[in-house]
Amino acid sequence: MKVKVWGARGSVPAPGPETMRYGGNTSCLQVTLSDGTPLILDAGTGIRTLGLACPAPMNQFPILLTHLHLDHIQGLLFFAPSFQPENNLTIWGPSAGEASLEDRIARYISAPLSPVEVRELPCHVSFRDSPTTEWEIGPARIQAASVTHRGPTLGYRITDGDESLCYIPDHEPVLGGPLDECDPEWISGFELAQGVDLLVHDCQYRDEEYPTHVGWGHSSITDALHFCRRVEARNVLLFHHDPLHSDEMLDAVGELAAEYWSDHGGDPSVLTMAVEGAELEVTGAALSPRPG
Amino acid sequence: MSQRPIELIHARNLMASISTPAFLVDGEATLVFYNDAAGSLLGRRFEETGPLPADRWGQEFGPVDPGGGRSPIDELPLTATLRQGRPAHARFCIHDHAGEPHEIDLSAVPIVASESEGFRGAMAFFWRVADGQGGSP
Repeated sequence: MKVKVWGARGSVPAPGPETMRYGGNTSCLQVTLSDGTPLILDAGTGIRTLGLACPAPMNQFPILLTHLHLDHIQGLLFFAPSFQPENNLTIWGPSAGEASLEDRIARYISAPLSPVEVRELPCHVSFRDSPTTEWEIGPARIQAASVTHRGPTLGYRITDGDESLCYIPDHEPVLGGPLDECDPEWISGFELAQGVDLLVHDCQYRDEEYPTHVGWGHSSITDALHFCRRVEARNVLLFHHDPLHSDEMLDAVGELAAEYWSDHGGDPSVLTMAVEGAELEVTGAALSPRPG
Repeated sequence: MSQRPIELIHARNLMASISTPAFLVDGEATLVFYNDAAGSLLGRRFEETGPLPADRWGQEFGPVDPGGGRSPIDELPLTATLRQGRPAHARFCIHDHAGEPHEIDLSAVPIVASESEGFRGAMAFFWRVADGQGGSP
């Protein structure tokens, strides 16, 4: 599996000179499966540039949404392939009792927030609740599970042959209790992420910022790393950067993360800070940067 | 053991954060958690008992009649909640680990996930009648 980061920012786009290296676009990952099938994880503003880079037409676009907060769907309206009638978009996302996935997304893609309605999109688009049982897209097996965040929110595990990737961009597992003391069965996301080759995980807050953001649905850097250690992830991509965090601050977060990992007996080379535009290859044993 | 549903994880977190005595039962009626406030009243902390299947927690804590004799478990509001998936409330007696009876008010609330996932279990909040409205303000 190959992974490309199209947006690593959380909450709101953060363009500007202070965020140029890590990037300002919100959550969007492209996973290219072993047969070349592209899988898109979340549709933050990063999906706009992904769409511009797609050779047209590509026909099939499976998009897995973790949840419907704006930083994960804002780019949908600006995804160029959705304006090409030969394309088929299949959007998977969390179910909710009160309305269908399509109706909830249409709250954004409709007046007065949007000049276009979902039904006016030229492509063929279908909406599906992510099932609670495993399903297949191309050669990959997909698992979805609810995780601790505000509102219905999923994490995904994608297994393609011997390689596995778990994507939990918005996650506050420590709300379930101290991660050291909780049995695995009581840790949100544990089963989904256990032993995965690459875990893409929320690292929104620096430790000193977290106390004033408890319950907002995100992890402190230490809690994120603690979770990654508990699930024994082989490689970690730290993701969903706070919009207030400049490149320099994120460099410092990366250094702190490496120090924590070393202090706990780990090899800090398995940690990577997500950078917009970065391409990685999940090999089953290690994560290797791809020449960009 | 497989992962608990996120709704039960959230419910446990709520219970662990409050001083209202509370316990949590899964969809199979196993007592999967009770908080420290409940543990104080029952005389044993959850860490001491661990999860208890339905027949065990009935034996362990009651219900009992005011004289200390066994009452049918079918009369518990939690039983109604588990069987019928609806909230229920009642006043009855339980006994603590030392056998001391306590009259309590108990409200049980079902935990229902999204339509496709259905019934997850139930939360029960209770307080001793002798403590009035329960807990410190």
